[in-house]
Amino acid sequence: MKDYGLDLHCQSILDEYCRNMDSFKTMQRIVEGILKDGLKENALLVTAVESRIKEESSLAGKLELKGRKYKSLSDITDIVGARVIAFYTDDVDKVASIVENRFDIDWENSVDKRRMHNLDSFGYMSLHYVCRIPKSLHDDPEHPEINSYRFEVQLRTTLQHMWANMSHNTGYKSGVEVPAEYLRSLNSLAGMMELADNEFSRLRTAINDYRRQVSALMMDRRFDEVALNEETYRSYLKLGPFDKLNHRIAAVNQAEIHNASLVPYLPVLQFLGFKTLGDVDRMIKEYSDAAFQLARYEIGVTDLDIISSNVAIQDLCIVFIILNGGGDRDLVQLFDLISGESDYNTVRADRVLETVSHLSLTK
Amino acid sequence: MNVNINQDGDKYNVAIEGRIDSVTANQFLSDLSPLMEAKNADITIDCKDMSYTSSQGLRVFLMLQKSTMAGGGSLVLVNMAPAVKEVFDITGFSSIIKIV
Repeated sequence: MKDYGLDLHCQSILDEYCRNMDSFKTMQRIVEGILKDGLKENALLVTAVESRIKEESSLAGKLELKGRKYKSLSDITDIVGARVIAFYTDDVDKVASIVENRFDIDWENSVDKRRMHNLDSFGYMSLHYVCRIPKSLHDDPEHPEINSYRFEVQLRTTLQHMWANMSHNTGYKSGVEVPAEYLRSLNSLAGMMELADNEFSRLRTAINDYRRQVSALMMDRRFDEVALNEETYRSYLKLGPFDKLNHRIAAVNQAEIHNASLVPYLPVLQFLGFKTLGDVDRMIKEYSDAAFQLARYEIGVTDLDIISSNVAIQDLCIVFIILNGGGDRDLVQLFDLISGESDYNTVRADRVLETVSHLSLTK
Repeated sequence: MNVNINQDGDKYNVAIEGRIDSVTANQFLSDLSPLMEAKNADITIDCKDMSYTSSQGLRVFLMLQKSTMAGGGSLVLVNMAPAVKEVFDITGFSSIIKIV
């Protein structure tokens, strides 16, 4: 061990630290494991779970500065430290609940730095717990110190973590006197981070509320009240709205249906002017017979025994355009969206119009 | 039916000649099999002289499309005659496989 020039009292604390290093390593492993298990059981995604054992030189420095404050090593609570960095402020509280449920908390020494700021001040925001490992989670009679030494758990959001690191490197803890205006800027940035954190949480809550509302409307099949967008369209596709028509078309040639994603058809439906899922649902109800007539005419005369699951929606879109007075230009636009722009799309539009001229399509 | 493959690094230029039907589909699959194992393969298939494809041919194109995508590559069919393109259109395959 390096000679740090400590007095006898501080040196004895440092000696105890070195003697118990194996126990601290065990504590670090247990604490990190318990935190990770807790997060997993609660399906809580976080940015990081990290832990460390205080460096010998760092402890020596602490003892040199305020060693008289500590009677023994067990008075120092941050020899083992863990940190959970969450995405959202709400998640910090959820992690807090995991910490409180799993560990024995030393409430007198645990601090919620989030509540320590005055109404008009901003700065370091973290939740600090001082804890012990309960015997219910780890009990080794040969090493009771593993349950008696305390450790620290810090909880913060990613933005709080970023601010804490930046201010540590550039601010008042950098070891250099920093002019007041820079410290003021740092603190105002903390205010900005707090606003951003709150906004992220508010947005997440709003999006989850929206999803729940959409889900309820879908369950009740109130499609007219659900706006057509990527998320609602994906949910709608899970109901298999085009399956019936696809199976009807496939039955013509006893064909296999190859499953293809229908998500790329969203821009096509928007091109047709559909604003709600109700518009899409009405198209299926009102135009399925016409789409089937078109498909039967095209496929029935072939021996093709495979179709893609996008045939139903493709033919629905074609007959929707034609029965609503659309012409070859509209069909070319449709095919440009479906298959990509190509000179062939004009040929295809002409062919479809020629085919339709042999049919008596009605809604 | 003939399949001619020219390879230049990751680029494969394939030319198909004739009909792909129940008689030739197995040969067609066998000819394209090496391409299905290639990684990052950028495949261009010239269909100028392909006069017809049956369902079996569509299935092979589909298999090639899947394996190419899974291998991080790309597949494009070019110079397709309108009558052949119609088969891809009416089965919905022209919005799955890139045809220019």
